[in-house]
Amino acid sequence: MSELRQLSEVLWEIPATARSDMRVPARVFADRDLLAAIERDGSLDQIQNVATLPGVTGAALAMPDVHQGYGFPVGGVAATELPDGVVSPGGVGYDINCGVRLLALPLTATELGARREPLVHELSRSIPAGAGKTKGRTAGLDEILEHGPAQRAPEGDLERTESRGCLPGADPAAVSERAKERGGGQLGTMGSGNHFVELQRVARVFDDDSARAFGLRHDQVTVLIHSGSRGLGHQVCGDYVKQMDAVMRRYGIELPDRQLACAPASSPEGRAYLAAMAAAANFAWANRQAIADSARNAVSRVLGRQSAEGAHQVYDVAHNVAKVERYDGRALLVHRKGATRAFPAGSNEIPQTYRRVGQPVFIPGSMGTSSFVLAGAPGSMELSFGSTCHGAGRRLSRTGARKEVSGADLRRELEAQGIVVRSPSNKGLAEEAPLAYKDVERVVDVVERAGLSRRVAQLTPLGVVKG
Amino acid sequence: MFHWVEHTAELELELEARTEAEVFAVALAAFAELTGDSDGPPLEQVIKVEAADAAMRLVAWLEELIYLSEREGFVPERIDALELDGDSLHARVAGHTGQPAHLVKAVTLHRLELREDEAGGWRGRVVLDV
Repeated sequence: MSELRQLSEVLWEIPATARSDMRVPARVFADRDLLAAIERDGSLDQIQNVATLPGVTGAALAMPDVHQGYGFPVGGVAATELPDGVVSPGGVGYDINCGVRLLALPLTATELGARREPLVHELSRSIPAGAGKTKGRTAGLDEILEHGPAQRAPEGDLERTESRGCLPGADPAAVSERAKERGGGQLGTMGSGNHFVELQRVARVFDDDSARAFGLRHDQVTVLIHSGSRGLGHQVCGDYVKQMDAVMRRYGIELPDRQLACAPASSPEGRAYLAAMAAAANFAWANRQAIADSARNAVSRVLGRQSAEGAHQVYDVAHNVAKVERYDGRALLVHRKGATRAFPAGSNEIPQTYRRVGQPVFIPGSMGTSSFVLAGAPGSMELSFGSTCHGAGRRLSRTGARKEVSGADLRRELEAQGIVVRSPSNKGLAEEAPLAYKDVERVVDVVERAGLSRRVAQLTPLGVVKG
Repeated sequence: MFHWVEHTAELELELEARTEAEVFAVALAAFAELTGDSDGPPLEQVIKVEAADAAMRLVAWLEELIYLSEREGFVPERIDALELDGDSLHARVAGHTGQPAHLVKAVTLHRLELREDEAGGWRGRVVLDV
């Protein structure tokens, strides 16, 4: 693309002059290989569309795992200036507060030994996958929407959760009855698609000091949980995208993509969405808490109570959310869609125990490949509104993946590598095959070279329970 | 008729129909291909949606199918009756209760299109979040 110019070894820019409707430049964190893939799938057009949002400031950003989405690309970051900059529900996505939680168990993979398969089996039995069509509604749903897992989680877990698992301003009344119906019975369920619970071992430690601070050591067993706000969040996003699509013109807003539908954050529609989004985010944290509780119960049944009690939460991070944050004294609404907050050492927003080393960030690889534990670095505050990447990033479509590999073959390959696999369908397994994703190591290398976050540890899978 | 267009992360559906009413039958067939499973106890659902334009009616229609699939385990098979009246749509849908396999999260407005072409047929496109 001729407009693309190189700002540094791993940062590229499309200037605001590239299109008459862009208000700020679009910037992409990538090396040359990742950039070539990014140029092929339409995500550059989408990040330029994001640069047209009213009130957008600095630059619209694409992380190295960016890929084509709808409206925002997945792996996009945009900050709008408050009070009148817009909020775009599509800039958060349907799975509000989809995120990742890491538990560290008090034993090594060597000590786990042959109990690995029974443990994966027990995790699979304990944590429902798929939609979960329970018709009942969780007791105290409104309380969860308002306060997240606060009443249901040990202090150690809350302290080690982004925003302590509760965004302020959540209003259950802003969440539609249908959203409550869809999600109300799904607390503690994983969902489908790329959601998973993975049993892992710490294969490599890059930074001893930070790993120690995070309570991680070589060969330690960990459990990584990836899920979100389930049907409740999907419905909240859908409700407000349509609402904003209907009122945008009243605010004089015209956009190149209807899915970017937005309204000033200070408008009645903007305020209502932010209150509903916060409620859905709180629900997602309560959901991952419930999954973590089920995981600890599974650990207790297979390895004993002491192992479950010693399973400490390293952290829980959101990667689909909009948050009010301050940069250079200005209040901004930072949309992260498929991007993770990565505050550096010294930030008051991160737990005291981690303040010396920076906020933990988890980057799941594709199924069967490594995941990474990172720590936020100072460059994120200068270059990316405190953000870094969120995963490997898709490379192939779901049908494309199924053409390349069969689920049954993939299952055999993973098992041949010693990875225990539990998945409700071979089709779903094939769609999430490693070859459908970019190389997570390359993605992590870019964010480290850009100074957004740095490597602390590498986790390799022992078993996968797929949603 | 319908077909799926390559999209890196989501599912993009393109559909063609002779009439606006047939658009909804085609969309149902596409959705059933994603969620369909083996037989189960038969079930009929009544779907009513209202939206200001044809494209948004298509979105609302698919959203109802998602909701019924997620909430009731409803696998749609065919439309037994469908009535379009101004902005509103009223349909009786036959299907069965099952365990829908591949669940769609949401219907997006990205690249959304549904219009009558010069020959009087209907063409549409909708991207589903999966």
